[in-house]
Amino acid sequence: MRTRTSALIAGAAGLLLLLAGCAPEAPHPAGSSGSAGGASDDTLTIATTTDVVNFNPLIGNSRSDYWITNLMYPHLLSIGNDGKKKAELATKWGYTDTTHGYYDIRDDMTWSDGQPLTAEDVAYTMNAVKQDAPAGTYYGQMAHFASAKAVSKKRVEVTLTQPDTSVIDEIGFWGNVVPEHVFQPAGSVAKFANDGSSGGWVSAGPYVLTSKQVGQSYTLERVQHYPLAPGGTPGPAKVVYRVFPDVNTEILALQSGEVDLIANALPPAQVKQLQNAQGITVQEVTGLGYAHMTYNMDNPDLAKLEVRQALAHAVDYDAIRKVVLQGQAVSTGSSPLMPVLKDYYDPSIKEYSFDTKLARSLMEKAGYTADADGNFPVRFRLIYSLQDTVTASWVQLVKDDAAKAGIVIDLAWSERNTYLAQTNAGDFDIYAGNFAIMDDPVTNFTLAYLPKGSINYTHNDDPTLNDLIEQASTQTDTAKKISIMRKAAKLVHDQVYDNVMYTQNLYFAHSSAWTGFVPEPSELLSIVNPISVSSAHKR
Amino acid sequence: MTTTPLVGDIEPIVPAAGGTARATWRSFRTEPLGLVALGVLLVLVLVAVLAPVLTRYPSGYGDHVLAPPTGAHPFGTDALGRDVLAEVVWGTQQSLLVAIASSLIAIVFGTLVAVVGAYFRRLDGIVGLVVDLVLSLPVLPLMILVAALVGPSTATIILVVAAFSWPEVTRLVRSQALTVVHLPYVDAARLMTSNPAWIIARHIVPAVKPVIVVSVVVTASRAVLSAAGLAFLGLGDPSTWSWGRILYEAQQSGAMSSAWWLTLFPSIAILALVLSATLLSIAYNDARNPRNRRR
Amino acid sequence: MRLGRGVLTIWFAVTVTFLLLRLLPGDPAQAVASPTMTAETRAALLAQYGLDKPLIVQYGIYLGQLLHGDLGLSFTQSIPVTTVLFERLPWTLLLTVTALVLTVVVGIPLGVLAASHRGRLLDKVVQVVGVTGQSIFVPSVGVLLLFAFGLMLRWLPIGGAYDVGVYGVAWYGSVAEHLVLPALSLMLVQLGSYVLTMRSTLIDALGEDYVTLARANGLPYRRILWRHALRNALLPTTTLIGLQLGFLVGGAVLTETVFAYPGIGRGIYEAVTQLDFPVLQGAFLFLALTVVVANMLTDIVYGFLDPRVKSA
Repeated sequence: MRTRTSALIAGAAGLLLLLAGCAPEAPHPAGSSGSAGGASDDTLTIATTTDVVNFNPLIGNSRSDYWITNLMYPHLLSIGNDGKKKAELATKWGYTDTTHGYYDIRDDMTWSDGQPLTAEDVAYTMNAVKQDAPAGTYYGQMAHFASAKAVSKKRVEVTLTQPDTSVIDEIGFWGNVVPEHVFQPAGSVAKFANDGSSGGWVSAGPYVLTSKQVGQSYTLERVQHYPLAPGGTPGPAKVVYRVFPDVNTEILALQSGEVDLIANALPPAQVKQLQNAQGITVQEVTGLGYAHMTYNMDNPDLAKLEVRQALAHAVDYDAIRKVVLQGQAVSTGSSPLMPVLKDYYDPSIKEYSFDTKLARSLMEKAGYTADADGNFPVRFRLIYSLQDTVTASWVQLVKDDAAKAGIVIDLAWSERNTYLAQTNAGDFDIYAGNFAIMDDPVTNFTLAYLPKGSINYTHNDDPTLNDLIEQASTQTDTAKKISIMRKAAKLVHDQVYDNVMYTQNLYFAHSSAWTGFVPEPSELLSIVNPISVSSAHKR
Repeated sequence: MTTTPLVGDIEPIVPAAGGTARATWRSFRTEPLGLVALGVLLVLVLVAVLAPVLTRYPSGYGDHVLAPPTGAHPFGTDALGRDVLAEVVWGTQQSLLVAIASSLIAIVFGTLVAVVGAYFRRLDGIVGLVVDLVLSLPVLPLMILVAALVGPSTATIILVVAAFSWPEVTRLVRSQALTVVHLPYVDAARLMTSNPAWIIARHIVPAVKPVIVVSVVVTASRAVLSAAGLAFLGLGDPSTWSWGRILYEAQQSGAMSSAWWLTLFPSIAILALVLSATLLSIAYNDARNPRNRRR
Repeated sequence: MRLGRGVLTIWFAVTVTFLLLRLLPGDPAQAVASPTMTAETRAALLAQYGLDKPLIVQYGIYLGQLLHGDLGLSFTQSIPVTTVLFERLPWTLLLTVTALVLTVVVGIPLGVLAASHRGRLLDKVVQVVGVTGQSIFVPSVGVLLLFAFGLMLRWLPIGGAYDVGVYGVAWYGSVAEHLVLPALSLMLVQLGSYVLTMRSTLIDALGEDYVTLARANGLPYRRILWRHALRNALLPTTTLIGLQLGFLVGGAVLTETVFAYPGIGRGIYEAVTQLDFPVLQGAFLFLALTVVVANMLTDIVYGFLDPRVKSA
């Protein structure tokens, strides 16, 4: 009996030890930089639905990755509400000749460990990305990039492999600058996790990450000096990103005051709801991308212009924008040049009308005859991603509308990765999806409509269009470039090489106790861009 | 690692000659909870069958989005203005289909494995081991993994739920079957025929029938919850109405707390189905158990 | 023997996961790179992950690594899988064990109550309450609880495991506060199994000869119930705890999602969406390990409760 009791005690003690070993560890206050010179002691708490996947801004792809690393690793350029690039780290940028570009950068930015941010860092980042090919968006912009060189502390010169009048803008906008003295010793930038495990993070933005609890929160603290903040010092003393996988919980937390801001764009149906809620302010942000459908021209039916036109006329775009998007979207006139790109937008291109009669006659013109039920002998498989909830809602309407024109559409949904694999393999008839940021028309046309473009889902190869895009990409005169691009857009519209449906305007909710946010377009920048966060303050 | 009584223990009983069923029914009739549960289940089945008569199939969009319950829409409308009542009604069909189909597959497969294992003693060790191994796999995470990789659809859900439910059935049925195979009348049958299929069908399956009945109910109700859970995580069939889909769409539109009707009604439907199925199996078990009947 | 069985269980889980990930469709390079990646980028990524090798070679390499305690590097996070898992592990264990203790503390007395009032109203009420808990859809109830206690009453926090910027004793208070709702939901879901198991085994135990004998000897009913019958009835409950622990650790995905709790179930879900093979393999290995450990603990407890097992 006694042995059993002592064994029991030993067992229980062992179990307790085991549990204690695995028990959560209490955090310790980090060596706070103090609030010396700071504008306030306030903490701005921001909700996001996903964890940071990768702290290396050259690899990370998810929104949280972008938001948090964007507060630490400056971009050379940002973008204004007119869709034009504007200065951030770079003060001047452009071309010296057709294959050489330059960036002049500010000299008042420093890394949080005291090292100055120089042109060397900028050149290092570009060359390292080109060499190591990290998986992020940045590398995708480097096709025509050859090398970069810091010619002085303030100036970087870039050599291109061929003339390209967009690449300086695009590299400047998409690329972060990382500290050479931290990343270089770590080896390949494609493999460096930058998870702070070797002595924390080094930032040149308004905030620096000081601690993280995966699945729950990421804490960033204000740096002493950030030249782009009002007064040179960021407002909130701390920024805490908190993870709420479920958007419902996220909204409840905002209403209860536990978080001050939701970084994810609100679901369209919640906008009105939260606009009317007390203590909550809803901020509109210009969209910089579009939702679209493309018709795979490898399919012999879809290779016919009339069939593509028939499909384009068998969609009630107004209803989609009104119901699914609750009126929070603008038509692009069925053109890839969205109204947000003010210089490029061409109001003379009009949206495909919703006209099932016209669609039917187009089908007949293409040589199809409807059966007794009014259905044409075609069947198209439309793919979309389940994670893209807005698209997932409107494809149902697309299917219903097409049925009215006698065209059968089969919906084929899948999980995002499968969907991407299908799009790359061309395993679809109709593709439905969206791009969050289509900031530069020439780059986007190159990717979307040139035969080798990585998002050429239509699989089109139109010599006239190819020629226009090539011309535009080497055209240095902006006015001429715009007129070429408008011609190209007209061609895309008339030939239905792409069916761009709308640009969604985004809405973000924050507590009315906070004000001073500086919105920039798109969900990636919105009101959580570095300038906006560092300008925010309590009322 | 051997027993998981979910609905109480199922006692091994020797099938007596006829009359057991009638005695069970007589005892069952005095069980109000069981009768109510049976009634609720019947109503749900009726709703599923009569869905086309009861409501129009919810599709397209409506004018009033997220409208609270009114006379025109007793359960309110969703984020696209569709009638939630119609969605719940048509969702019943899908949810029952998933429940019945996956539990049938699991039962047939699980019972077969158990009975064959129990009859052929040499196989039994392997069956027992495999069942134990599969039972120790984390079910929900694996369901998520498979559904995401294979691609979410009704068929996927049915197969995934069935694939992870059969070992439980095998375990329950096996322990019952093992008590029967050693009984004298089975040994006698072995002497009379060399056809194992006949003995299994004639003697062993009838003996494990009560356990199967309980397993069907338990597996089916678990299937409903699993399917709803998968749908909620975005791994359901987005083209067919199911209770899980209504909840998933409510979640995606961030309306779960503000548009309470979107959350409440499908949740009640799930609760009603699972609760009544479970209560029914408990009542059946109690009614069948002579020890309970005695009182 | 027992150890061999444990190793077999773990091997089985690991192998099933390994094969599922590679034989079912899904391209991890796709999940990591931006949609604009080229075929060359993809091939380079697959080579970096070792996925370009034949299946059997990959399996050999993987098992070899495992034997050295190496779970590999996460595809998407570029850090060791063990680091990824250990960041969530403590919270999962805290939530699971709390919920389990709550369930046992509430479930056993309820089961006893039902059994000793067998057939009467109280019995029915307890049964219905237990089964109702089992039948609820967690996210709906979760949102309701958050709405009621988090937003309307403001008694409890909404989401997370603790408040950021709270240290010392206050931190433990914050942890406890954040634990209440998720643990309560998990308890509600499991309670039914315990109540019903307890009830039915206790009813059986009360019908046993030794109980009848004890009653005949004039022992008070309460004492028989709590001292003798309960001891026997605890055996199946113990088994249940062992089994449930394994299920709970990875199976609380929905609870973790709604309550924004940093657990391993949610981690698995995210790894699935990112097709992060090494993290998934590591997570499933870990879950299998939990089951094995839980079963060993069950056996030990069994030994104390049941003299017959001990002598065997």
